[in-house]
Amino acid sequence: MEKHYSDETFLARWISGDLSKEELEAFKKSKDYEAFKNINKGSQKLMVPEFNKDTALRKIKNELHIDKEDKKVVKFVPNWVYVVAAILVIAIGIFNFVQSESHYNTGFGEQLTVTLPDNTKVQLNARSHLDFNPKTWEDQREVRLNGEAFFDVVKGTTFKVLTHVGVVEVLGTEFNVIAAQNYFEVQCHEGRVKVKSKTTKAVTLTPGKALRVVNSEKQEWTFTELKPSWLQGETTFREAPLVRVIKALEDQFKITFDASKVDTTQKFTGGFPHKNLKTALKLVFTPLNISYIIKDENKIILVSKDNK
Amino acid sequence: MSVKTPSVCEQKTYELIFNSHSESLRNFIYYKCGDLQQAEDIVQDAFIKLWHNCAKVLFKKAKSYLYTVAKNAFLNEVAHKKVVLQHRVHLVKDSTNETPEFILEEQEFMLKLKRAIADLPEKQREVFLLSRIDKKTYSEISELIGISVKGVEKRMSQALIQIREKIGDI
Repeated sequence: MEKHYSDETFLARWISGDLSKEELEAFKKSKDYEAFKNINKGSQKLMVPEFNKDTALRKIKNELHIDKEDKKVVKFVPNWVYVVAAILVIAIGIFNFVQSESHYNTGFGEQLTVTLPDNTKVQLNARSHLDFNPKTWEDQREVRLNGEAFFDVVKGTTFKVLTHVGVVEVLGTEFNVIAAQNYFEVQCHEGRVKVKSKTTKAVTLTPGKALRVVNSEKQEWTFTELKPSWLQGETTFREAPLVRVIKALEDQFKITFDASKVDTTQKFTGGFPHKNLKTALKLVFTPLNISYIIKDENKIILVSKDNK
Repeated sequence: MSVKTPSVCEQKTYELIFNSHSESLRNFIYYKCGDLQQAEDIVQDAFIKLWHNCAKVLFKKAKSYLYTVAKNAFLNEVAHKKVVLQHRVHLVKDSTNETPEFILEEQEFMLKLKRAIADLPEKQREVFLLSRIDKKTYSEISELIGISVKGVEKRMSQALIQIREKIGDI
């Protein structure tokens, strides 16, 4: 008996008639053969209770509420729907192939973290737009930016930020970019950043160095923050033109300013919190000696107190 | 788009699938749980699920879809109680010329056999009964259960050895 146990599939092969002649002969001589033969014979006499297919099917149909009165073939979805769906899928596919860009937008007061295919993290500040092409990402790391964003670039090939006011080129660092109307600002937080605006020569920034180009005028300064303040819910400025500050307030709080009565080229150093508009207005305009009149919900008129 | 492949959503196709697979699926689950009512409920639910998902399930995949759904239902719902199989025994005609003692002996043997089968672990029992009652080949069984043919053969052999030990010598 033991020898049949040693081969794990012996009995199974005997049942299916797959034993060799010698194996079968030897097995027939063993004292267990009769017992196994009876088991096999007996088990084949067994049967399961009958399965009434018709009853079962009727039950299912009742459950599904189909085929109650007539025997019409009920189709849940007509064929033309598949055709339309297929055309749509193909159309979307072609559209995606041609368009194949990823777009990210932030609204008033919003922030968004975007992870690029190489794990580079981009944090978008309010009212900003970022797009890149994931298809060509491996060949060239390039993003287009309008607005403000903080980049934490994973080391690798050259990483480019293209804006309408200039280009930032890096290999793997952390930096903040603001690209707005006639305004371009880059702050380097780690590594080395090469900045080239449309109107100035290329400048290389090291950590703690910042560059700003306003109406073709270049200004460089140093700072000590590890991360841009806006990531912590506060926007700060250092000798920034007032027009830039106003733009940042507008983007953050979804308001508009009438600044026709004030000098918007004057410089501002300071900041405002993102949470409270009243505090923000007070912190920005009181030091500049500008009074603000909240006209209606979203419109604020600025008047210089000096002119009075 | 191949218009030729039948859609499961069409009632004719659906009934065709039902007629070709419902019984063996019922038996398959029955061998697992030993409760006929439960097995038939599971089969019914599996077919209802198939209809609800008919747009997503290809005709070719319908069988394996049904088995997967039913197996999962079995694993999730069935409290693994001690199973008692209630097999009906064929009326074997050629046994009429046997002596009464022989018939009695055979009845006793069948009783022992059924008990031994009921006592098998579920995995061995399903293989053994699919092979002996439903006459499925090892490769068909391996496809249904989702293990290799060799694995099926092992379970089959183990089942035979177990039954042999339970029944003892006759």
